[in-house]
Amino acid sequence: MQPKPLVELQDVSVRYANGVLALDRITLDVNQKDLLALLGPNGAGKSTLLKVILGLVKPTSGIIKLFGSTDLAKNLKSVGYVPQSAQARDTNLPFSVFETVLLGRTRHAGLLHRMGTHDRKKVEEVLKMFGLYELKDRKIGQLSGGQTQRVFLAKAMVSEPKLLLLDEPTSGVDPASKHDFYGILERLNKESDIAVILSSHDISAITKLATRVLCINRSQFFCGLNEDFSATAELPKVYDHPVEVLEHDHP
Amino acid sequence: MITLESIWTLLQAGFIQRAFIISIIIAILCSVLSIFIVLKRVSLIGDGLAHTAFGGLALGYFIQGIFVAFFSQYVPWLIAGVIVVLGSIGITKAMRSTKISGDAAVAVFLQLGLAIGITLLSLTRVGIRIESLLFGSILLVSFEQILVALVIAVITISIILLFFKELVYVTFDETQARASGIRTWFYDYLISVLAGIVVIVSIPIVGVLLISALLVLPALTSIQFTKSFRQTVILSPIVGLATVVLGVLFSVVFDVAPGGMIVLTGLAIFAVVLLAKRIQESAKK
Ligand SMILES: Nc1ncnc2c1ncn2[C@@H]1O[C@H](COP(=O)(O)OP(=O)(O)OP(=O)(O)O)[C@@H](O)[C@H]1O
Ligand SMILES: [Mg+2]
Repeated sequence: MQPKPLVELQDVSVRYANGVLALDRITLDVNQKDLLALLGPNGAGKSTLLKVILGLVKPTSGIIKLFGSTDLAKNLKSVGYVPQSAQARDTNLPFSVFETVLLGRTRHAGLLHRMGTHDRKKVEEVLKMFGLYELKDRKIGQLSGGQTQRVFLAKAMVSEPKLLLLDEPTSGVDPASKHDFYGILERLNKESDIAVILSSHDISAITKLATRVLCINRSQFFCGLNEDFSATAELPKVYDHPVEVLEHDHP
Repeated sequence: MITLESIWTLLQAGFIQRAFIISIIIAILCSVLSIFIVLKRVSLIGDGLAHTAFGGLALGYFIQGIFVAFFSQYVPWLIAGVIVVLGSIGITKAMRSTKISGDAAVAVFLQLGLAIGITLLSLTRVGIRIESLLFGSILLVSFEQILVALVIAVITISIILLFFKELVYVTFDETQARASGIRTWFYDYLISVLAGIVVIVSIPIVGVLLISALLVLPALTSIQFTKSFRQTVILSPIVGLATVVLGVLFSVVFDVAPGGMIVLTGLAIFAVVLLAKRIQESAKK
């Protein structure tokens, strides 16, 4: 039996209250082991697409299923999300790095239950994996941009997700950390079987990593296997501008 | 100037002791709520609710004035309680709507409550001292009031503990909490309704004008120093307690209105903390 897709979108359109049509009839399946690169220029609707999967934005039309169910909230427990430019609302927000990551366990403890040692152990594990253990008592608002992004990725990971939604996770991250980050992501995807949807402008790097590619600019321009995707052929259409994809190997 | 000895005698008086006990209960209650209120950036909600409560109380007294014979003295407070809970739901609904900004929503409820309150009180036949509603009368607190405050405090804090981790998540970031499947609207209403209930219990003690300070200052002062939520949860009630105990003490010593003195003490602690932080920061450089 073919396993159910983790995410199914059928003809999903989103029109915001101000009349902007952000998504126009997007159809998409994301399966286990997929690492989907979500490409498109600024304002193309990438963030909106991720939000609509999370139920943060209601579709104007179309059907969205998460783990086979249209009741999105029910299954969000198994989805890790890192919003675009994730950061503390306020540099004074009194949350330590440890506490921020622990928030990712909230849904696992169950309503009316407190978080226990198991949850704390899990947080320590993930902090170590992301090289954040030394920072665990620091205040979240007082980290650098790159460190903050790692904390939010750790927070998403600590919920032991089956699906990760990452909205431009490498913007503002230095090249070495970017490389580390893609390494972690590849491991998570290959070894831990976590499906990933990743929006990014970092085209050359993520098309090396991705198994599948979705190009959108409100409507869908390309959706298919990475092998069939030719950046030089597809991207100029989406970006409405010649796109040069630099070929360079990571060290 | 009063002598030390006379202060000591005063402190042993039953009414002063009752004043201390009720202020301690209210301080702990307000301090815990203040963490969520301040961090969720709805600091003005206490003001909005307090004035809504004022309107509710005026309505209560107005109705009591018409049917004096049937009503006990508690009925106006029950009516006000219902109005405040409705008001807190209304304020939250308005704040959550994207069409009006949060501060404007609070301002509208505040003005509505105050306007209705003043109008109805001017029509009411029961004699009410407006000042005691506005500024509280902590020195007239009865044993029953202490009991009611205690019960409300226990219930409120238990509810907060029950939903603690969800409340913490919603306080950290509403969107991310929602993205993890938490029904954030429920927690928005919960905080607001609990604040409404705390307001109505606190008004007889600190008054309409001062309650909102107690719902803001303890957390605001604490987060100047705390590095984690855990520290904030511990420090905020300590700041709240220090505020009311010193406030009541100063009011006895200087023979001034306790409500005002409590808030002045809270503000003074906040100022000292800000100053200390400034000094600490410049020392680091
Ligand atoms: N809350 C909103 N209300 C109204 N319009 C919105 C809202 N959010 C996004 N939009 C509009 O919808 C369109 C798509 O926005 P979206 O944020 O999804 O783009 P994006 O592909 O993520 O862009 P970027 O690369 O800049 O992050 C844009 O035109 C934007 O102006
Ligand atoms: Mg975006």
